[in-house]
Amino acid sequence: MGTARARAAPRAPATPTQPVETSQHLPDKTFVIDNGAYMIKAGYASNASSSDEPISACSSIPNALVKTRDNKIVIGAQLATVTDWNEAMFRRPVEKGYIVNWEAEREIWDQSFFDGKPTVRNKNHHIGEPENTTLILTEAPNALPILQKHTDEMVMEEWGFGGYARCLGPTLNVWNEIHSLFGDPISNTSEAAILPADCLLVVDSGYSHTTVTPVYKGQALQRGVRRLDLGGKHLTNYLKEIVSMRQYNMVDETYIMNQVKEAACYISNDFSGDLEKTWKVGKKRQTAAEEGIVVDYVLPNANKKGFMRPHDPLLQAKKKKGALSGLDAEVLSEDVLVLGNERFSVPELLFTPGDIGMQSAGIPDMILQSLSVLPTGLHAAFLANVLVVGGNALIPGFMERLETELRQIASAECVVRVRRAKDPIYSTWLGGTRLATNREELRKVSITRQEYQEHGSGWAIRRFSGLV
Amino acid sequence: MFRVELVSDTSTATPGWSYAPTRAFNPSQTITAPTLSRKRNIRDAGKGADLTSRQANAIARHIADLDRENQRDVSIPAPVKQAREAGARGTRAKTTSSVRRILTSQKTFRNHLDDEEAAIAAGGGGIGGLQGLGGLNLVAQARGKAAAAARRSSTPASVVGVKRSSEAMGETGMESEMDVDSDAPGPQRGLIKSEYDNDPLLRSYAPSMPSERIMQRLLAEPPLSYNESRAKPAASGKPGRRFCCMCGYWGKIRCKNCHLRTCGLDCYKVHEDSRCGAFF
Repeated sequence: MGTARARAAPRAPATPTQPVETSQHLPDKTFVIDNGAYMIKAGYASNASSSDEPISACSSIPNALVKTRDNKIVIGAQLATVTDWNEAMFRRPVEKGYIVNWEAEREIWDQSFFDGKPTVRNKNHHIGEPENTTLILTEAPNALPILQKHTDEMVMEEWGFGGYARCLGPTLNVWNEIHSLFGDPISNTSEAAILPADCLLVVDSGYSHTTVTPVYKGQALQRGVRRLDLGGKHLTNYLKEIVSMRQYNMVDETYIMNQVKEAACYISNDFSGDLEKTWKVGKKRQTAAEEGIVVDYVLPNANKKGFMRPHDPLLQAKKKKGALSGLDAEVLSEDVLVLGNERFSVPELLFTPGDIGMQSAGIPDMILQSLSVLPTGLHAAFLANVLVVGGNALIPGFMERLETELRQIASAECVVRVRRAKDPIYSTWLGGTRLATNREELRKVSITRQEYQEHGSGWAIRRFSGLV
Repeated sequence: MFRVELVSDTSTATPGWSYAPTRAFNPSQTITAPTLSRKRNIRDAGKGADLTSRQANAIARHIADLDRENQRDVSIPAPVKQAREAGARGTRAKTTSSVRRILTSQKTFRNHLDDEEAAIAAGGGGIGGLQGLGGLNLVAQARGKAAAAARRSSTPASVVGVKRSSEAMGETGMESEMDVDSDAPGPQRGLIKSEYDNDPLLRSYAPSMPSERIMQRLLAEPPLSYNESRAKPAASGKPGRRFCCMCGYWGKIRCKNCHLRTCGLDCYKVHEDSRCGAFF
């Protein structure tokens, strides 16, 4: 397709204040977007490195168009204004972890980053002059080339960023301070430039899928990248389905069930034991309530947010008696979900996808599958440096379970260390900001606007895959 | 070889058809026909034997359901903003043709994946497919590049060339070319000194780190395709767990009509009365 070059050429000339040769260098300002399917994490790298709490420079923007019950359509950051989440419908531009629908994504990006004037409130995520900004954008591994091409064309032709780097999301994590997390001695002094960790196995369990990426000196070992097509979305939907069958019909309440999942679900370290405890017939159910496995989740209503509380086995009977039982009106009117084995059998899918009949290995097996195609000499180094990022890492019990199972199936000679990133949701974004401070490395992985205009999108895609 | 399907949506700017890969006969995915006696089928069904096609379909449908954003199909149009088009866009350049094409494309991930699979089956695919070069050209390019890199590092020409197949860089090939990296972060050896350190029975034979050259070659590999990178079934061969379809406890008994599992007679009665649709 020789037209790629011709297409790229008709651009507005650079602003006259800008000397020509600067466009050959990357603009100094760097903006990092971790474009998650559920939430966009975005912010300027400079703000992050200067402040003490780098996360505060990061804005999280829901990556969705929402249609509320009263048929209003709400975009991105405006979602914070929505109070009635009943029957909210979602449209997400990111499918299976990749940006597929740019029509919707452009709306969200425009509204979040480009529209309006910079104000105090949006200064962290407002891009006034894209042509003087370098963009670091993350993508999920093993993206389809056509989607990568679309992304490049949109970034460079619709918004015209001055510099652009499309990186594999998991690889950015190696730029974080990994050594302190694993308790290793920090070898280089703080004055030295930020360098990537040597060997790191990144497990990224997000909204759309869970990936395992072995990263060697800042680059992914592509042959070892593995993906499990289960993520937070599937867990929420599974919980929704179970609850709808056993208790209330919640099939249209994705948002509420997501909150229930985040509040109540945990990963069991003794699955069959917990299952016995929550069985309705055995006497053990009583003990389970005492141990706090069975809980009541009070669904949100107009005045109150949903919350979780210990199970009260007599509540149902009391409610039947109505006002005679001495309960106040508020308790009588509330809707309660009783959650027993749902709490741990739902996130269990990540470890045994076979429970819904899926022909796929769980996360620990997937890690070994990933290592099996790498030289044996690397196994020890990767097993000793397993980093978990992504929202699912926050499910209680996830880390313990992963470490236990990995220890069981990994070779006995290897040390297995599994750590959760300090802030698993923002870890990738933070890694991007730290990469941005190392200008030399950033130059290696990014292209400038001029290069793009000269060579076109076909070249850009080869450049980002390391072929040019 | 390929079925050409008309894309029903006429609003797309892409050509009105897309490649649909032929679903070739695949013995691993075919479902064993119930040639055996019915009794044996029933007996074996719980032992992790092959699924019937109905079960496989039901599972596939279930997984697809879990992948949905909303239970119902809804269309949520992006709000039209003329003001933005006219005013805020003023500083920006005109929308280019490729941007317009991308924005109007209604293709889903599934469509793109099918295109890609068809391209791979036709010998293209990957990044090369986009260039119209054909995959072979690109591989040759990559190979040439790797060869050049290897030559620069003054290695014998006999080992140049990137092996393609996923198992190509197998253990034997690697081991023979391995140099020992001095600063290998191997397993912690020699942390505690004792007189048994040199005992041959207690020595640990940790494999050494691969050489820099091998690592460079591994890093230069192109990404796997979307389907290749999916996790394979676990090798452990544990039988699948079955749960009660009503309460989620172990599925100890199976409905003779629909083969769904329940945990006991309590749940079975409820199941029989309400949900036994015999859909397996």
